[in-house]
Amino acid sequence: MSKKTIEALQILSISLIWVLFIGIAVWIVNLIKESLKLHDAPDASVGISIVAIPVFFILASVLTYVFIGLRKGREEDSEP
Amino acid sequence: MKWGMVIDLQKCTGCGECAAACKRENNVAIVAPKESEMGRTMLWMDMLTIYEGEYPRLRVRQIPRPCMHCDHPPCTKVCPVRATYINEEGIVAQIYPQCIGCRYCMAACPYTVKSFNWYKPEWPPGMAQTTNPDVSVRPAGVVEKCTFCIHRLQIAREQAKIEARDLREKDYQPACAEGCPTGAIVFGDLENRNHQVNQLAHSPRATKLLEDLGTEPKVIYLKEVD
Amino acid sequence: MEHASATPHPDAALLRPIENPGRTFYYMVGILLVIILYTGFVYIRQLWYGLGVTGMAQPVTWGFYIVNFVFFIGISHAGTLISAILRLSKAEWRRPITRMAEVITAIVLAIGGLHPIIDLGRPDRMMHLFYNGRLQSPLLWDVTSITAYFTASTVYLYIPLIPDIAILRDRGVKPRWLYEFLSWGWQGTERQHKVLDRAMNILMVMVIPIAISVHTIISYIFAMTVQPGWHSTIFGPYFVVGAIFSGIAAILVLMIVFRKVFHLEGYLKQIHFNYLSILLLIMSLIWFYFTFSEYLTGYYGHEPNEMRVFWYKFAGDFAPFFWAMLACNFAIPVAILCNSKTRTIPGILIASLFVIVGMWLERLIIVVPSLANPRLPYPTGIYIPSHTEWMLFLGGLSVFILGYMIFARFFPVISIWEIEEGRHESTRLVTERIRSYMPDMEPSTGQE
Repeated sequence: MSKKTIEALQILSISLIWVLFIGIAVWIVNLIKESLKLHDAPDASVGISIVAIPVFFILASVLTYVFIGLRKGREEDSEP
Repeated sequence: MKWGMVIDLQKCTGCGECAAACKRENNVAIVAPKESEMGRTMLWMDMLTIYEGEYPRLRVRQIPRPCMHCDHPPCTKVCPVRATYINEEGIVAQIYPQCIGCRYCMAACPYTVKSFNWYKPEWPPGMAQTTNPDVSVRPAGVVEKCTFCIHRLQIAREQAKIEARDLREKDYQPACAEGCPTGAIVFGDLENRNHQVNQLAHSPRATKLLEDLGTEPKVIYLKEVD
Repeated sequence: MEHASATPHPDAALLRPIENPGRTFYYMVGILLVIILYTGFVYIRQLWYGLGVTGMAQPVTWGFYIVNFVFFIGISHAGTLISAILRLSKAEWRRPITRMAEVITAIVLAIGGLHPIIDLGRPDRMMHLFYNGRLQSPLLWDVTSITAYFTASTVYLYIPLIPDIAILRDRGVKPRWLYEFLSWGWQGTERQHKVLDRAMNILMVMVIPIAISVHTIISYIFAMTVQPGWHSTIFGPYFVVGAIFSGIAAILVLMIVFRKVFHLEGYLKQIHFNYLSILLLIMSLIWFYFTFSEYLTGYYGHEPNEMRVFWYKFAGDFAPFFWAMLACNFAIPVAILCNSKTRTIPGILIASLFVIVGMWLERLIIVVPSLANPRLPYPTGIYIPSHTEWMLFLGGLSVFILGYMIFARFFPVISIWEIEEGRHESTRLVTERIRSYMPDMEPSTGQE
């Protein structure tokens, strides 16, 4: 498999991971909205779910950071 | 409006007609004998057997036990998909198409009133035609329980609307109350002073099951006098 | 499979399972696949007929599936928690252990996370959890936290794996495209190392609270009901302790197995087993402390429903399981591990296996007795698991073993670059660290 294809697949996989994590965040926000509408969830669980959303974003950001960092940290004589 | 039930244990003979009427009315599945022995009998209205004393002064009582329709239901708190919820009139209802069959509500209910469809319900030959068309037949894998015959409430309300009048006490009675031969089961609006339940609920003999758990059940038992 | 680059590597033993898997590997995979396929068939049968094919009934409406759910998720604490805590505390002896631990977590979480779905009466309606989930329900909290933990631990497994993938890529191991794809252009430059270090530092701190929250929330499934034997405030910490306990036992068993099968005696030395087994001993004592506390409180209060469940466990139908659990989790491990003469590798293996069985029994003892003893005067429930439930248990274990074997076939089970780093850096780092805590000498000239 050519280097270009592999790079494209890598970028695709990172994008999919972002899509997944944003999906999870949207889902949790939906749960919170419904919970506020029906007003029967203890505030603690709403609060904890709000904390859960940044967790996913941090994970996606760390992965992206590593991906970009590794590309930038390559020596100049390799592929651009 | 808060629907509730009073069961007078002095009048109750333990005949079990309430249990049978409920099964007929609500299309509750008939379970094979082997399954039943395992504990899979489906009885929305169950007869609790209580043994008191020892032989020769042994006393066996059968007490009807429907769903308590608690005002603070432990079951609705734990349902992950809102397949069981308490409506504004105090009835703890089930939404069969929503239930995913996790059985958390069954584990959480301190009165063990819920039943589960372990298999797809099957009717003996000829009985399928005798099911009640007003009540849905549940598929395998969902939880069900006594609903205070809420379908009868809907029918009664529609009838009252057509006739442009208010709902009367006798318009909406669940199958168990209707079928009880001694009138031990009384049903109505606990907040309506004209309804019998309201008066009986304040009787000095009134008691509730597992009251100390704080579930605030709306099924009130009147203790026996002798 | 072809042989890869013939250049010898100082850590050839770690590369051999990938480059020369050998025939036994394929036989084992074959056997496991047969078991798993049969399990799949059994599960499809359950989907077709309904949950009636299990042994569950009223009042015991939760059985093996929930027991195994808690059990598998409990073992997941092995990985991330041990590897994260050892990395954070800069314990140099962690280097051969971290990868194995992290893999356990990833695989076992996937299996454990599937168990509630197996337990559902209507798994086809699973999406209801996502469309209309209710945040008030501990089950939903569970879905959220297990998702968070699974993603975090997979990322935490993957990022330190990158340099090893690059080693395999550079040695030309097939399939080349896979290692190219996954290695993200790693070359081992200093800048890249910095990036990796920073990422690992963030992750290892983040993963610990997530891991603790997962098992605490699982305990809340039971503790948030009012049922006797479940409604206890100690459940959160109790479950976390139990999870770490069973997790350490699982890692020990895996280490011993891999050491034998892959000839890793050069990497997994007596000291690793010594330290981990002392940790296991400590966890056994802590577990016993929590268990004792839980039951003494219940007994002293003497609340009638609690006492029914208590006697059911101590002297009733569940007594054999209860006392077996105490033997497996406390008596036997403490006896074997307290004495350095018996704290040998075979001894540790026996102790760990007993702990794994004992912790499974503990989950059983938590789930079933409270359900079997309803508050209202019903006869005590009887739960006899059916063939379906046993097979799904065996299938779950087989999926775990197969998953691990496939991982070990493509990736090194001990972190090669961290061992290398250890060879170069450990002595210097540890010497510096120890120097920094040595007390200062009196200055001879009286000046600072």
